[in-house]
Amino acid sequence: MIEIKRVSKSFGALQVLREVDLSVARSEVVCLIGPSGSGKSTLLRCVNFLEAYDSGEIRIEGRLIGYRDEPGGRRPMPARDLREMRREIGMVFQHFNLWPHMTALGNVAEPLKRVRGLPASEADERALAMLKRVGLADKAAAYPGKLSGGQQQRVAIARALAMQPRLMLFDEPTSALDPELVGEVLEVMRDLAAEGMTMLIVTHEMGFAAHVADRIAFIDSGRIVEQGPPKKVFHESAEPRVRQFLQTYHDRNSF
Amino acid sequence: MRFDIILHSLGYLLRAAAVTVALSLAGIALGFVIGALVCAARRSGDRFLRRLGGFYVSFFRGVPLLVQLLFIYYFLAEYGLDVPAVVAAIGGLGLASGAYQAEILRGALNATPAGQAEAATALGFAPFDIWRRILLPQALRIAAPPLINEFILLLKASSLVSVVGIAELTRVSMNIASMTYRPFEAYLAGGMIYLAINLCLAAFGAFAERRLAAGGST
Amino acid sequence: MSFAVLLHYLPSLIAGFGVTVLCWSAGSILGLAIGFAVALLNRLPAPPLRWLLRAYVEILRGTPFLVQLFLLYAGGPYIGLRLSATAAGILGLGLYSSAYFAEIFRAGFAAVPQGQIEAAMSVGMTPGDILWRVTLPIALASTVPAIVNMLVILSKETVVLSIITVPELMYQMQTMAAETFTAFDAIFAMAIFYWLLVEAVSRVGRRLEIKLTAFMAREASA
Repeated sequence: MIEIKRVSKSFGALQVLREVDLSVARSEVVCLIGPSGSGKSTLLRCVNFLEAYDSGEIRIEGRLIGYRDEPGGRRPMPARDLREMRREIGMVFQHFNLWPHMTALGNVAEPLKRVRGLPASEADERALAMLKRVGLADKAAAYPGKLSGGQQQRVAIARALAMQPRLMLFDEPTSALDPELVGEVLEVMRDLAAEGMTMLIVTHEMGFAAHVADRIAFIDSGRIVEQGPPKKVFHESAEPRVRQFLQTYHDRNSF
Repeated sequence: MRFDIILHSLGYLLRAAAVTVALSLAGIALGFVIGALVCAARRSGDRFLRRLGGFYVSFFRGVPLLVQLLFIYYFLAEYGLDVPAVVAAIGGLGLASGAYQAEILRGALNATPAGQAEAATALGFAPFDIWRRILLPQALRIAAPPLINEFILLLKASSLVSVVGIAELTRVSMNIASMTYRPFEAYLAGGMIYLAINLCLAAFGAFAERRLAAGGST
Repeated sequence: MSFAVLLHYLPSLIAGFGVTVLCWSAGSILGLAIGFAVALLNRLPAPPLRWLLRAYVEILRGTPFLVQLFLLYAGGPYIGLRLSATAAGILGLGLYSSAYFAEIFRAGFAAVPQGQIEAAMSVGMTPGDILWRVTLPIALASTVPAIVNMLVILSKETVVLSIITVPELMYQMQTMAAETFTAFDAIFAMAIFYWLLVEAVSRVGRRLEIKLTAFMAREASA
């Protein structure tokens, strides 16, 4: 579904991604973990081209995103094509990014009206169904400012889901939440995974990754250092950076 | 466009520009003294003083500057005080600016973290020293950019002083306009000199802001 | 000043106030329209245009309003612009305020959190839709206090129009004062009148601000 081949990216003099290879198959759940500044969010944002990668290829279902390969060389993809591809990719942000001047229902229905071109009544119906799915039908008329962080994030997930995307990207979806609100969001994500959604998740929630992910990829300094099923990465890794990272995690979390 | 005519009068214009700057400097200085007093009044424990300060700010920010200037002019005439127009002008600018500076200073003092005064008290500093060594320097640092901005505004506002006949930049532009029958070029020249002064001030303001933000020495 | 005298001049004073309100509202609308256009155009990726817009704003904000008025009214005919005093006054107010409004709108646009734009991009919204449905509503809501403040400032600037003989309130007041030798009383009354007016308008403005900020305070966290 997602093919990332030898992708590199620099911000000025700072190289953030170094020839990264990663693939995500249909219905697979892959979690990206690693220390801060390792490049995991940047990699995720390259997949829907919110960040432009400098070299390499990212293909969604075989189609190159962000660029067009032409006989004369590589050219930026036309805006319309990029928008078309983005419609099929759902993204959930760390800070939710709900639009403050619209209700929860309004937020979820807006892309359906504007991008899918649905008539208002149908869009609202579908939006309500989505909110029901994440357990927030009763908050449809609430503005984001009145919702807790966990509720906002669930609305954000509903907003992405309403577009019926082929795959979903999650950028540290629970990092901005109070600890007691994390669970409700993870539950929604777990259900999504069980239903067969293809998901690429950047997260610090090791427990979630261990139980829900099909594969874990550990990134450090812009390179994927270790990849594989959770058991392998968490318990059988020979890589020193991985063990060091997990050790710090264990120390801080087993009190 | 006959700019050569204006070139003739450049000397007058530049001299008038100096008058404008001098007036504004005097006005801002007077305004600072008044502003500091009004600010102190507004922060005092006495309710009457607080109200008086509030009234001052409300009045001198609410009444248009032109009305204030003419008011002072006629006020002095009414009571027989023969004061040169310049004094009336500086007084008017100072009184008006005082209201705005009072608010700037008040904002700056509010923005100074209270914890620092507390730490000083806990260490045994005398109140006067706390003011002198800790609160005032920081408040002034915060107030500097808006005060420079206030000076720019005052400089522009000084053009209204032309109505009481003082030979500042706007008045002289008017004179040149009527003497040469080329008002467009005359006012354009005057305007450009104002602009030049203000751009320099703005650049200075940006420089000062950078220096102060970088955590200056003390 | 006797009450009879005041009554005699009341019609002209009321007419003057009418002209004040006319100039203020027409000037404000003109200023808001031009300022908004400037702020929108400033978002285009065209350096020469943006430089021109920057110059426009700097010139109008860096020169005294009175000089701008003189330029338009007295200097205008020499470049083919023959305006009546009132027209020059309205145009002057409009141009002068447009520079300030342009800066206010620019700050409003800049204050829209990038994340909300990214969310719109990630679902594939067109740039036009993003501007219209996301950027503008959020930007405009944040500009309300500054706009109200500027409108109050503009109402005070209308008195400057009297200098180029626009028959607004100050001008009528000065005419009356000259004809009745009551300069001090007249000017005193003007001061009190404007003070009360500005104070009242400021309070109404603040109330409106609070209402709108409460609405916009329902913002997503972070």
